[in-house]
Amino acid sequence: MKLNIEGLLVYFPYDYIYPEQYSYMLELKRTLDAKGHGVLEMPSGTGKTISLLSLIVAYQRAYPLEVTKLIYCSRTVPEIEKVVEELRKLMEYYSKEAGEKNNFLALALSSRKNLCVHPEIVHANIIVYSYHYLLDPKIADLVSKELAKKSVVVFDEAHNIDNVCIDSMSVNITRRTLDRSQANVETLQSTILKIKETDAAKLKEEYRRLVEGLKEANVARETDIYMSNPVLPDEVLQEAVPGSIRTAEHFVGFMKRFLEYLKARLRIHHVVQESAPQFLKDISEKVCIDRKPLRFCAERLRSLLRTLEIADIADFSAITLISNFATLVSTYSKGFTIIIEPFEDRTPTIANPVLHFSCMDPSIAIKPVFERFQSVIITSGTLSPLDIYPRILDFHPVTTASFTMTLARTCLCPLVVGRGNDQVAMTSKFETREDFAVIRNYGNLLLEMSAIVPDGIVAFFTSYIYMENIVASWYEQGILENVQRNKLIFIETPDAAETSMALEKYQEACENGRGAILLSVARGKVSEGIDFVHHFGRAVIMFGVPYVYTQSRILKARLEYLRDQFQIRENDFLTFDAMRHAAQCVGRAIRGKTDYGLMIFADKRYARADKRGKLPRWIQEHLTDGSLNLTIDETVQLSKHFLRQMAQPFKQDQLGLSLLTLEQLQSEEMLQKIAQIAHQV
Amino acid sequence: MDEEPERAKRWEGGYERTWEILKEDESGSLKATVEEILFQAKRKRVFESHGQVRLGMMRHLCVVIDTSRTMEDQDLKPNRLTSTLKVRKRGDRGDVGIITTKNKRAEKLTDLAGNPKKHIAALRNAKDSTCGGEPSLYNSLNLAMQTLKHMPAHSSKEVLIILSSLTTCDPANIYDLVKTLKALKIRVSVIGLSAEVRVCTVLTRETGGSYHVILDESHFRELLMFHVKPPPASASSECSLIRMGFPQHTIASLSDQDAKPSFSQAHLDSTSGGPGLSLGGYFCPQCHAKYTELPVECKICGLTLVSAPHLARSFHHLFPLEAFQESPLELHQGERFCVACQGELRDKSVFTCPWCCSVFCVECDLFIHDILHCCPSCIHSRP
Repeated sequence: MKLNIEGLLVYFPYDYIYPEQYSYMLELKRTLDAKGHGVLEMPSGTGKTISLLSLIVAYQRAYPLEVTKLIYCSRTVPEIEKVVEELRKLMEYYSKEAGEKNNFLALALSSRKNLCVHPEIVHANIIVYSYHYLLDPKIADLVSKELAKKSVVVFDEAHNIDNVCIDSMSVNITRRTLDRSQANVETLQSTILKIKETDAAKLKEEYRRLVEGLKEANVARETDIYMSNPVLPDEVLQEAVPGSIRTAEHFVGFMKRFLEYLKARLRIHHVVQESAPQFLKDISEKVCIDRKPLRFCAERLRSLLRTLEIADIADFSAITLISNFATLVSTYSKGFTIIIEPFEDRTPTIANPVLHFSCMDPSIAIKPVFERFQSVIITSGTLSPLDIYPRILDFHPVTTASFTMTLARTCLCPLVVGRGNDQVAMTSKFETREDFAVIRNYGNLLLEMSAIVPDGIVAFFTSYIYMENIVASWYEQGILENVQRNKLIFIETPDAAETSMALEKYQEACENGRGAILLSVARGKVSEGIDFVHHFGRAVIMFGVPYVYTQSRILKARLEYLRDQFQIRENDFLTFDAMRHAAQCVGRAIRGKTDYGLMIFADKRYARADKRGKLPRWIQEHLTDGSLNLTIDETVQLSKHFLRQMAQPFKQDQLGLSLLTLEQLQSEEMLQKIAQIAHQV
Repeated sequence: MDEEPERAKRWEGGYERTWEILKEDESGSLKATVEEILFQAKRKRVFESHGQVRLGMMRHLCVVIDTSRTMEDQDLKPNRLTSTLKVRKRGDRGDVGIITTKNKRAEKLTDLAGNPKKHIAALRNAKDSTCGGEPSLYNSLNLAMQTLKHMPAHSSKEVLIILSSLTTCDPANIYDLVKTLKALKIRVSVIGLSAEVRVCTVLTRETGGSYHVILDESHFRELLMFHVKPPPASASSECSLIRMGFPQHTIASLSDQDAKPSFSQAHLDSTSGGPGLSLGGYFCPQCHAKYTELPVECKICGLTLVSAPHLARSFHHLFPLEAFQESPLELHQGERFCVACQGELRDKSVFTCPWCCSVFCVECDLFIHDILHCCPSCIHSRP
């Protein structure tokens, strides 16, 4: 159908449209008009992708000078493929309706086997790829730096974007990394010697270039061709490469010294935490390395590798990592912390020293993106509370909106179970989590649910350790045996191969009527990337509130930073983080309007307003006072009733209510209703 | 159907939120809502008829009853099994066989036969049996298939599964069996007692049956009644004329000295015992074999023996009584009394027969459509 969205002609490749899609496009259009950034939350399964694509493509066609390019970033390869599929549909519709062969070029960078290095990429109108191509400075420099300023960037499934940013800027150095770097340095040295004998002129040429400084890059940046790279700070561009590392041999010697210093730092018996300036002071005292040459490390190494014509850069990943670390630590005095741990917390006897150079400020990685592109859209099914993302990513959105799902029938049923039948409170709170009664009540809940929920149940625990403890205890109490009479049990493990095997068998058991339970972990692979449509997930049980492990030093440092820099209280951030993961977990069950599922929050703390209020609006809406603080019995009754209701034939009477034709959409009454869907923050 | 469900004790029932349905009207009174609820309870949904389509009148139906552990659940009073057996009611022209499944096995309770008495007796016995283990869809379907696959192509072959459990324990891939069932044109329908199970959805969709899940006991009964109605025949099923015999019931008077008691053919191979010898009976018009009960297929010559009332019972499925027009009481003018029961019209809707324009109350409308199948007033006025 052809829509008119505030004067913009939008081709929409389906005959019907959900009201929230229309509302979403409206908000999106306003964001593009204002040339600003936006944060939009819309539940999954309501056609977010196609709304985004059709509106932005239409916008591109209408105002080719305003918006030249769409950069669509998604998280995983299957998601990218889904986007491409929708895009194909849209393009077909265009060529059918407009009758013209359109000259849109779309490009998807999914995996290495599809990697395209053709220069045409610069001219593509739509680019679909993973976050890392834009956020990770190492890759972004290769792929994305030439993207035009007038692009629209979309981050889909962006509820974890701050962690992606942090990960892309953080460096972890172990003994292994150092050993491999050592080997790299030696290879470099021998290659230099060889080249010196055969082609000394080349090295001289490089030297000359370095004296002149990185003028080229500077010119490029000033003329606005390239996106800035956080690893290549502005000051570096202004100056020449310092003399101490200008010749190849000197640089190799310099790196050797740096490596030795790091090795010495790893030889410790207690935890050390220091800031970047402290680290620099120490390094200058101990091995006389200054801040300035360190800052040029990354660029100098890149230049050297280019000069030596080394083809396989992947072999040199270790030394590249070290040089990036050197540049980062000497560039940013704020936003980073260095933690050196002699061993892992779980195995205090085995020496395994790690140097964490941890980024605490996600805005550092994403800053170039916000600065460079005129519109950046952050969207996901779960972004609540919406106001926290602009704060931690440090930007000012023009639109912040949350959309609800219009439903012909109430297909989701969130319940908060707070007590067992014995009235003992159910909670994964640290003080009581080992309590026998709590574990037994959790077991009873699972047992009861396994008897009344058909096909698949997915249960999430707060961590692997907690899951192990509880499952062991259930085994001793004989609960597992009883559960197994109703359903098979599968368990997620940290091992990817094992988990995918368990998943496959789980789906098989759901498919042929045996029924199954998948025990998994919030923040694990299952909670993030796997959808449990229809019978694969009729109920999700969230055991406890998935707080992150608060004893981690990196987290503590980050919390402190957030408090000092952004005035976000520790508790607020922790709750926000826990609730977004809980929402992600329970959201796995509902993947569309014809789907239905129970969402069971098994912790009394969910009933509190500060937790409940942080759930996405489309879940909160259905969480009435009557579904709070239930006992197991009450939960079973409500669930039974819900499942029976949902099993009644679903008449296709969505039309006109949650599914609209063009005429229905244009009615005055409907437009008023639509205006209420978007909830501005 | 004959016994009223025992009134459950309130404290045994589920948590009900009766207050949530109530809404106050403008004057703050609850009267309107209460009346509405009462009226809705009276007025059960009448299933829409199929219209003018060919119906599969010759039915062979296997009823599979789940008697697994979950049948002991108390959400239907006193438990699911008893409730199920109470609700079971014989259909009409067609043969029914009953299979039960528990402990991962399937057992045949009664063979395919047209005689309702035997089934009712068997079910009555089953009421006291214990439930246990898990049901097996595969085994029950397999058993049903073995019975049904030899039935003639013109008849409608159906399996009705009453499933309480949410799991099934199968020895082999059930989807292969579904394909076989589809090829044999056996229609499988499922009534779920707890929730929608994926495998049943696929099973019924593939074989062309229906899948329902009950809401409560009355809904359960309604769904079963729905299955009593013959389904529309599939276009591919064979169409043939069937020879039928209509034997007269002859009773030799006891005073007649020549009369000798004789065995019924139906009882010869039955192990159930019972009075084998009797004086009178139905004699097959073709080979004069004797049967004490109808309907039956003659063991000797294979002729289908029925009595006229049997055919008549199926008649209403082919030509159902048209639904009466519902209109609000305020608009109704004339008689304030129901033609059938002579009671005063008090409910908010009245029902008018489109042919004779007689007016009926809700209860009579239901009675006429569900049981009588003809309008008493029309018959009365006919010359």
